[in-house]
Amino acid sequence: MDHWDVLLQQVINGVSLGAMYALLALGFTMVYGIIELINFAHFNVFMVGSFIAMWLMQTMGIVGQSHVLYGLPLIGLLLFVLAVTMLATGTLGALIERYGLRALRGVSGPAPMITTIGISYILFNIILLTTGADSKNYSNPMPNVRWEIGGAVLRLREVLLWAIAIALMAALHYFVRRTKMGKAMQATAQDQEAARMVGVDVDSIVVTTFFIGSALAGAAGLIFGLYYNYTSFIIGYTAGLRAFTAAVLGGIGNIPGAMLGGVVIGLIESLGGQYLAVRWTDVIIFSILVLVLVFRPAGLFGSAAPSKS
Amino acid sequence: MRVVRGCGVGFGVCLGALADAEPISEDMQMSRHTRRAFGAAAILGLASVLGASSLSAQQKTIKVGITLPLTGADAEDAIRMKYGAMMAIDDANAQGGVGGYKIEVITLDSGTATAGQYDPAQAATNTKKLVADPMVVANIGPQMSGEGKAMTPILSEADLATITPSSTNPDITDPKMAGQFKPKGRAIYFRTVTTDAFQGPNMANFFTANLKVKSIYVLDDSGAYGVGIADSFQRQAEKNGIKVLGRDQLNPKEADYTTILTKIKGLKPDAIYYGGVAQAGVKLAKQAYDIVPDMIKGGGDGVHGGSFLTGGGFPAVEGWYSTIAGPHLTEDPAVAEWVKKYTQKSGKIPDDYAITAYDGALVVLDAIKRVAESGKPVTRSNVRDAMQTTNLKTLQGVVAFDENGDIKDRTVSVFQYKRNPGYPEDDVVHQQVYLGPAPQS
Repeated sequence: MDHWDVLLQQVINGVSLGAMYALLALGFTMVYGIIELINFAHFNVFMVGSFIAMWLMQTMGIVGQSHVLYGLPLIGLLLFVLAVTMLATGTLGALIERYGLRALRGVSGPAPMITTIGISYILFNIILLTTGADSKNYSNPMPNVRWEIGGAVLRLREVLLWAIAIALMAALHYFVRRTKMGKAMQATAQDQEAARMVGVDVDSIVVTTFFIGSALAGAAGLIFGLYYNYTSFIIGYTAGLRAFTAAVLGGIGNIPGAMLGGVVIGLIESLGGQYLAVRWTDVIIFSILVLVLVFRPAGLFGSAAPSKS
Repeated sequence: MRVVRGCGVGFGVCLGALADAEPISEDMQMSRHTRRAFGAAAILGLASVLGASSLSAQQKTIKVGITLPLTGADAEDAIRMKYGAMMAIDDANAQGGVGGYKIEVITLDSGTATAGQYDPAQAATNTKKLVADPMVVANIGPQMSGEGKAMTPILSEADLATITPSSTNPDITDPKMAGQFKPKGRAIYFRTVTTDAFQGPNMANFFTANLKVKSIYVLDDSGAYGVGIADSFQRQAEKNGIKVLGRDQLNPKEADYTTILTKIKGLKPDAIYYGGVAQAGVKLAKQAYDIVPDMIKGGGDGVHGGSFLTGGGFPAVEGWYSTIAGPHLTEDPAVAEWVKKYTQKSGKIPDDYAITAYDGALVVLDAIKRVAESGKPVTRSNVRDAMQTTNLKTLQGVVAFDENGDIKDRTVSVFQYKRNPGYPEDDVVHQQVYLGPAPQS
């Protein structure tokens, strides 16, 4: 492996990480765009998603990495698990909004944000107390297929991760830009009162936003498990914090910004680890965040809801 | 006899016990024996009024702490240790206690949800709890050196001794660092395993002599144990002529180690040595299996046993070398009976550190017994002194300590994970092969 192979490999690693952060960042950014709330429960909705997908695969007889599928059964199974997981975490997100946060809507000050931290802890401890705290050996039916590009290796799981991430982000982009619901969502983000006046049902828009953001977090949870063959009750924090950083870096409220922010953070992480030292990763990431916010307070790509503060 | 027992506590209790005893004495038809018991009761009651506290103490129970990270990434192994220690104490209680004392156990969990593994701050809080209870005369634990470092200043202040079945960081008992870890000067940290002053270097010798490793990359998990063992490994490896191509630190809460592993792959060392415990180790093993499957990989006792095996699973852990800081016993025919009993009792297969925990509890019980039999009051200080002079036959052989509290035996045993299809995948005993003791420096 010469120098360029290592660089290419680190870019592959970084983009994979970034795709995962991007999926997670979307949930933060969408919710913030609509109701200006930083939703810390999102961290652990992601974590719960990875467990739901694992349990689902375990009930279907896939335990650990010993049971390998190929071709159509593999794609069918992954799509099924992905759909069920997204539905489950989406519902969880909608329930959090409906029963945890709706009553607090419009309350000024930090109360709604603190509530999301509380909900985050509840999810965290439920998983901890029901499944135990040891690292879980994730169910993974994917064969160990790999392609050599020079000295670098591209694995099936990376390709799959990118494919799922790109497909979901494209679908989201289409939904927000082209559908009626999406346009209503944009309208709500710009001005809730005005949107209500022209007949937008703001409550259902907010709950839909939570549903979509949480469903994407569930997808990220499944991808996380398949990528690392591992999950644990503790995965929400590090990944969630990086994803949140990605959302802020891209301009919070800005959907394409969150995607790009995720990839930027992923690349910083892998290239920083390669050319500096892994133990400095967080220092590098958060220093860049501080610098960006000092010089460009709206994030690298600006805020998407310009009519608001 | 019951009359006598009830009486020592104090005069009031004594009268109550006398009243209590009457129906029994009728059953016994007021024999001479009973009358003598009445006489003895009166004398004892008087003695306790006069303040003969050693007599009154004989009727009481005393407490022993067990502090281990029972939740978190280390739980799998910590629970095995707890069962080991409990077995010794339950056996002693079933035989009427030691030196006339029933042993009451206070189990405290030093793992926390926020740490996801052992938490030094929680270990310190637990230690304060033990110190605050004057009935606690000794402690068994901790599992991890990071906990030990947080506990020792508090233990030293209170003169409360602990015995660890697995914590191997040498700083804690190093006389040069006494100001930090035993400010009052007396050894309070005893071990039934040797330290990383031998575990790391002996493994470096094994890498040099047995595996013919010429170049290596060294990683640690930024914990007290991990950094210490990786440092001592690295020093000896350099001394043996192994080229150290780099050294980096893993954040145990981080999920992604592909970056560092890709970097290592680019440097092409013969081997990776990982100093650390399961939380980072599991992820490292899984990702190393993907990225550098053919490289030699090894670690210390942090990658030996249940947590690493169940979390990592095969094929990721296949081929990993590990060590323990003591002799390998679980397959020894001499302890077969014990292993059977342990498995019946706990439903788990014991590993070697379940045995060192059992041995540690035996040391504590033996110390209490010797203090009680010598007629001295069973206090923390006296129990500590007795532990210092331990010379006890245990499952691992005779246990004795040097003046710092370190065990005199310095065996380090090497293992390798090898899938054995005849046993369950998480069977800690049969999924790793014992390769023999590591060469001493």
